[in-house]
Amino acid sequence: MSLDVTNETATTARIPVGRTRGIGVIMLAIGLFTALVFGVGSGFSAHSSLTFNPVSLTNAPWRIGTLTLLTAWTNVVLGLAIVAMGAHVALRLPRRGVMARFGVVAVLFFFALLLWAARTTGPSQINFVNLTAVLIGSSALAMVLVFGSLSGVMCERAGVVNIAIEGQFIGGAFVGSMVASTTHDFFFAAIVGALVGGLVGLVLAFLSLRYLSDQIIVGVVLVTMLGSLSSYLNLQVLTPFPQYNTGNLAPNLPIPLLSKLPVLGPVFFDQTGFFYLMIVLVALVSFGLFKTRWGLRVRAVGEHPQAAASVGIKVVGVRYANVIMGGAIAGVGGVAFMASQGQFQPGYTSGLGYIALAALIFGRWRPSGAVVASVLFGLSVYLADNLQTYQVPMPTEILGMFPYVITIAVVSGLIGRVRPPAADGLPYRRD
Amino acid sequence: MRLELRGITKRFGTFTANHQIDLVVEPGQIHCLLGENGAGKSTLMNVIFGLLQSDEGEMLIDGVVTRFANSGEAVRRGIGMVHQHFMLVPVFSVAENVVLGFEPTKSFNRLDHQRAREEIRSVSQTFNLEVDPDAIVEELPVGLQQRVEILKALSHDAELLILDEPTAVLTPQEIDALMAIMRSLAASGKSILFITHKLKEVKAIADVITVIRQGEVVGTAQASDSEAELASMMVGRSVSLTVDKAALTPGEEVLAITDLVVRDDRGLPAVNGVSLSVRAGEIVALAGVQGNGQTELVEAIAGMRPVESGTISVRGVDITNHTPRQVLDAGVGHVPEDRQLHGLVLSMSVADNLVLNTPRRAPFARRGSRNLAAVNENAQSLVQRFDIRTTSTQALVSSLSGGNQQKVIVARELSRPLSLFVASQPTRGLDVGSIEYVHRQIVNQRDEGLGVLIVSSELDEVLALGDRIAVMHAGRISGVVAPTTSRETIGLLMAGAGATDA
Repeated sequence: MSLDVTNETATTARIPVGRTRGIGVIMLAIGLFTALVFGVGSGFSAHSSLTFNPVSLTNAPWRIGTLTLLTAWTNVVLGLAIVAMGAHVALRLPRRGVMARFGVVAVLFFFALLLWAARTTGPSQINFVNLTAVLIGSSALAMVLVFGSLSGVMCERAGVVNIAIEGQFIGGAFVGSMVASTTHDFFFAAIVGALVGGLVGLVLAFLSLRYLSDQIIVGVVLVTMLGSLSSYLNLQVLTPFPQYNTGNLAPNLPIPLLSKLPVLGPVFFDQTGFFYLMIVLVALVSFGLFKTRWGLRVRAVGEHPQAAASVGIKVVGVRYANVIMGGAIAGVGGVAFMASQGQFQPGYTSGLGYIALAALIFGRWRPSGAVVASVLFGLSVYLADNLQTYQVPMPTEILGMFPYVITIAVVSGLIGRVRPPAADGLPYRRD
Repeated sequence: MRLELRGITKRFGTFTANHQIDLVVEPGQIHCLLGENGAGKSTLMNVIFGLLQSDEGEMLIDGVVTRFANSGEAVRRGIGMVHQHFMLVPVFSVAENVVLGFEPTKSFNRLDHQRAREEIRSVSQTFNLEVDPDAIVEELPVGLQQRVEILKALSHDAELLILDEPTAVLTPQEIDALMAIMRSLAASGKSILFITHKLKEVKAIADVITVIRQGEVVGTAQASDSEAELASMMVGRSVSLTVDKAALTPGEEVLAITDLVVRDDRGLPAVNGVSLSVRAGEIVALAGVQGNGQTELVEAIAGMRPVESGTISVRGVDITNHTPRQVLDAGVGHVPEDRQLHGLVLSMSVADNLVLNTPRRAPFARRGSRNLAAVNENAQSLVQRFDIRTTSTQALVSSLSGGNQQKVIVARELSRPLSLFVASQPTRGLDVGSIEYVHRQIVNQRDEGLGVLIVSSELDEVLALGDRIAVMHAGRISGVVAPTTSRETIGLLMAGAGATDA
């Protein structure tokens, strides 16, 4: 990882002092908000109960009982912890790891929000938060986001912006549902999903590499087209023939023993094959990009295509290959999403592809960063979708904005400073 | 390696960039290809390097007819090229850049960083080119980046090295170092093809000189030929290389800068307490190695960069932190350093670019609508007066050569009454003919009583034009000297030593 580290210092060294201080102040504000609104604001008699039950109780030999916390004091402590981190950033101005700290602050904030939302005033316990269920639910979303942002890493590291991730999700989910319904085999579904995603990637690559079209416009067009096409086919094929969209959840493949661990077991070791595939892919792409000859060439193509061409690297060929592979990964992501929902429905990816792009940026175009960002964004999307069960007196759509607000903050340089591959999105002309 | 070109012709549509070029480079020889910008030198190099394919003619390497489909083949055949714009990935380390395309690997296709480093160390030692293999390229000074380019070519066992305008981005000291490297490479048997339009360098280093003009070889010359002979061969007519100036008759002070502090993009003080004055009828030339605050100083004068403290005034009127519009109205003409970024709107016509500084004023516009007839008339007269070579006043300014683009800017800035004329690197990238022209214009303005401030990293230009020479180092004026001062003294001031007053 020596390579990564040097790049990292080169980038972070450019963050002006004032900006780092600004992030610290924002973190301080979040901490105070947490302590005052979620802490003091929930009243000192309120308490929140956390349970850690896996979805199927039969298969869990070791269980943790219910943890009941005093909401106010817990959240005051969480808030003060955030304040402390904010103060550290604002006063000591660390040169590295500011974004990582921000991620930790965001997770603590979400946790405090959860406690606040599930608090019970009075002696009787009515509300529970099943933390295990929250983690499993957000891990499914995070997995889809990881597939999407890995796709983005593949394409953008080679210099092609893949806005079409959303479209590849839709395409993968659609054909994935048909194949899974007819063959009842998610392995085939994944392969066909990869083919469809790769095909969308091929169209994107063809238009942007052969005809040098604006990659962002082509990508948006593809998303719009696939969205409409899937609605149309849904109406024409899936509605009259419901046997092609029967609803299948991918089976869980528990890993012996490990899956029985409390909390961690169900989240990491009792997942579908897609989840394990995602982990393998993250490792593969990370290793490939930063350790191998192939990765060096891909990154050279994404940073300075003329330089790559001058030593005989076939720039256009590398870009085609990567955009198609990236498309295939996003296609599998679409199948994985379908397999976690059970069915295809038009429009139900609802912007996940764009959130994956946001995760790509927040993760600084690195597979590892994309995972961290996906976990964070997956959690926020899950909470936005599920908090209403706790009758939270706030519009949960605000939470849905979180990934985009963070992305704007990152892109504008408010949090950290990210640098995309230098030739990202630029057409390459030979000569 | 012996390279021979026979009748190479390259056309782009109807335009012939190279016509029947013959050229021989012998092993161990430094062969200079001399020509103006746009003469077809770069096209010819790209043909040799396999980036372009010739339409006619053949290339012989060590007597064997060879044709490259792409530059990778050329590299494998032992041809290395150092491009004017470096072919280096800025965020990669030196080692990664050097091995790119020829990477040593371990199992699983993994990069073998250890072997890459060793390879570089051994090539560095053989040719005495010291570079840290783990340094990140973008953090290296330009001179070292170029060294990495040379190292890269040599590590691919280049026998013929093509250097395309290698000195354009270098400081005088770096140029000397490069020349020494070239000599030692030639001595070790490498062939070198050196492309330039700078006569001094050609004379200093060439074994053989081939002069090319408008895509054709117009002859060969000797290093012992005079600069005037070389220049007239290159331009096709006799050119004056010295600038004739009338005696200095300075008037009142037109530009007064006191204790100026300006920050650069990173927020660090780039100009740190500079005081400078320019009087009417004199040229003050600001010398210095690039990156010592000259750019920021000029941007502050032009209103393009905020002033931290200190004042700038033109004819007694304070223009500190005024907008560019207000600065122009105060009678300042400005030729920016980067003409394509700040000087022109490339996608607009020559005529429109010629009124960019006064688009809203009569006669070019009235009550918010443009008077295109007046714009055109203005363009016609300026194109004629400043000898701008363009197919029409409506042609896009991007279709013009660099020299003519610069003429458009100079013409525009000088087309209205001024008190002060500021020109940053006014002749960078221009050929001898255009340089002569721009210099004459600047001197004319000075003779007509304008105050002129020139910023240049070319010592020749500073010495030829300046009535007084201010040397800048690390954000301060390290000395103001007379143009009769020796190069050595100015060189020392550029390095920050001592301070004198003229």
